[in-house]
Amino acid sequence: MSHLKQILEKGEFAVTAECGPPKGADSEIVLRKGDLLRDKVDAVNVTDNQTAIVRMSSLAACTLLRGAGLDPVLQMVVRDRNRIALQSDILGASALGIGNLLCLSGDHQSFGNQPQTVGVFDLDSIQLLQTVKAMRDEGTILGGDRLSARPDLFIGAAANPFADPLEFRVTRLAKKIRAGADFIQTQCIYNLDRFKTWISTAVDRGLPEKVYILGGVTPLKSPGMARYMKNRVSGMDIPDEIVKRMEGVPKEKQREEGIRICVETILRLKEMPGVSGVHIMAIEWEEAVGEIVERAGLLPRPGF
Amino acid sequence: MYREQQITLGLFYCQNVPESREENRQALEEEFGKSLRLFPIPCSGRLEPVHLLKALERFADAAFIITCPVGACRYFEGNHRAKKRVERTRKILSDIGMEPERVGIAIGSKEAPKTLAQQAREIFREISLLGPSPVFGQE
Amino acid sequence: MITAEQKPIDEIREMIGPFKRILVLGCASCVAECAAGGEKETAMLGSALRMAAKMEKKEVVIEEKTLDRQCVNEFIVLLDDTIDQYDAVLSLGCGAGVQAVADMFPETPVIPALNTEFLGETKAQGLWMENCLGCGDCMLYYFGGVCPLARCSKQLFNGPCGGSVDGRCEINPEMDCAWQLIIDRLSRFNALDRLEDIYPPKDWSRKQGSGPRKIVREDQQR
Ligand code: SF4
Ligand code: SF4
Repeated sequence: MSHLKQILEKGEFAVTAECGPPKGADSEIVLRKGDLLRDKVDAVNVTDNQTAIVRMSSLAACTLLRGAGLDPVLQMVVRDRNRIALQSDILGASALGIGNLLCLSGDHQSFGNQPQTVGVFDLDSIQLLQTVKAMRDEGTILGGDRLSARPDLFIGAAANPFADPLEFRVTRLAKKIRAGADFIQTQCIYNLDRFKTWISTAVDRGLPEKVYILGGVTPLKSPGMARYMKNRVSGMDIPDEIVKRMEGVPKEKQREEGIRICVETILRLKEMPGVSGVHIMAIEWEEAVGEIVERAGLLPRPGF
Repeated sequence: MYREQQITLGLFYCQNVPESREENRQALEEEFGKSLRLFPIPCSGRLEPVHLLKALERFADAAFIITCPVGACRYFEGNHRAKKRVERTRKILSDIGMEPERVGIAIGSKEAPKTLAQQAREIFREISLLGPSPVFGQE
Repeated sequence: MITAEQKPIDEIREMIGPFKRILVLGCASCVAECAAGGEKETAMLGSALRMAAKMEKKEVVIEEKTLDRQCVNEFIVLLDDTIDQYDAVLSLGCGAGVQAVADMFPETPVIPALNTEFLGETKAQGLWMENCLGCGDCMLYYFGGVCPLARCSKQLFNGPCGGSVDGRCEINPEMDCAWQLIIDRLSRFNALDRLEDIYPPKDWSRKQGSGPRKIVREDQQR
């Protein structure tokens, strides 16, 4: 079912991109974003009410993309659903032909536009991974009841090489793999040195033999965005050189510079042992993805 | 006599304040009569909002505390604490619709120390504009 | 301890508005420790409400009393003789205290003067911190004495999340990341390997499985 899985298993350097569903019921926006990404990437992640802002459900947007011939990655956060709803949506996703599932904790509700809601957090992301794996591999749900049919899902998880405590980051990656992750998509990489340290520790522990690791990248639009992410987004590591590079070009060249940095990063990642692909998160800038993929020499993508 | 005597002041003071011995207190009380009620406390840090509130509720048009100078508190930060307690009391007063200025604090100065009597006179001047407390009704 | 904070005076005055004889009832236990509903705070609130009433020229009787514990019947019965003098009780007990008093005196309206907050500790003077959710199945052993439910913003059993930086929580940089604390403590005791295991989903039935919980101890009963 999962095209992404086939690409990775063939040993191709995989490319995924992120697509944020609209803040409304308009399917055309989803389909338009899908068109921008078609044939440029192998799979498309659809965010799940990212930053705790209400948007069209990831499940619905994934279904639209699937219908349009793309391979969606359903992002699922544990913030909004208890284990009954999570397991039910997992079954539903598979039934609708969605082949990939990314298990996340989710951004805290206090950041979004519903700060008065209650955060569920019945399971955490690692427990969710374990749950999906048991559903797929054992055909059982939590508590042991058997499923009439198993979901067919390629299971993913996130990792942040730049958060603390550093020593524990690889332990946590190993934990996610044990819980059931088939692939990992990382936090945006700007600090390649620190990423290298993390990936080589992972390589030393033999982890990339058990999991496909896709390095995350986000093209910067402006120095303001760089500074914002550096200072305000927890767990984001943007070295001063990057901010300076963005500041050093005139306004009309800033987006070009952002794309250039992104392409350079991908080229470095391609050479790094342990890295199986790249995940491009062009936030509300899906138009940039095609160019980035092309300039990084990753086109054409192998077909379905 | 003093025009200010139309209103009653409840005055708490740290015993560290210059010229605040028993005989000074008596002299002041004689001078001001019913307009001034004095309450010595060992350290202004012991002052609680409830003391100020009770004074306002029972008899006073204004209730103040005089502390020892900053840095001169025998119990370290008593005067600093008193300041916060006064702030808290002021908040309660404005919540119930009373002028917060009816409570206040006079922090002694190390460089220019003032006696209890001097401070009391200054506070009277400060509160003279407030008039009688709305708690006791306008006659 | 159970922590609480006083409600805004405006809200309290609105709730007591219809009543003429009010008992302001403090509690000398938890809410006294957190300076919300002890004898001192009860006296302050009583005094403030009386002044407010006088300024509005309202004829109301407002009296104060503080019980040692407002959530234990043995202490609440001490009100037996006097409760009829009042047409309402304004309670500075925690939510449990308010309800216990109401249970004992079904004819008397009992009004909460506090917002009950959390189970926590007095960290310093004037600082209280939440550290237990009363989950009914304490896991502190596994987590080195730091509760991931009460102290991790995302209640992670297998943390830390990707937002933990410099020991601070991503939700609020003024807060410690509970998972940094867990890791620090476990490594001090050479027990970090405890975290290699995946901690299984929590059994929430111990907290909310079949409605409100109760504890029955026959050995303690008459
Ligand atoms: S594990 Fe449960 S009982 Fe123990 S501190 Fe946390 S919430 Fe309280
Ligand atoms: S930063 Fe730490 S305390 Fe905050 S949500 Fe993440 S793991 Fe929990």
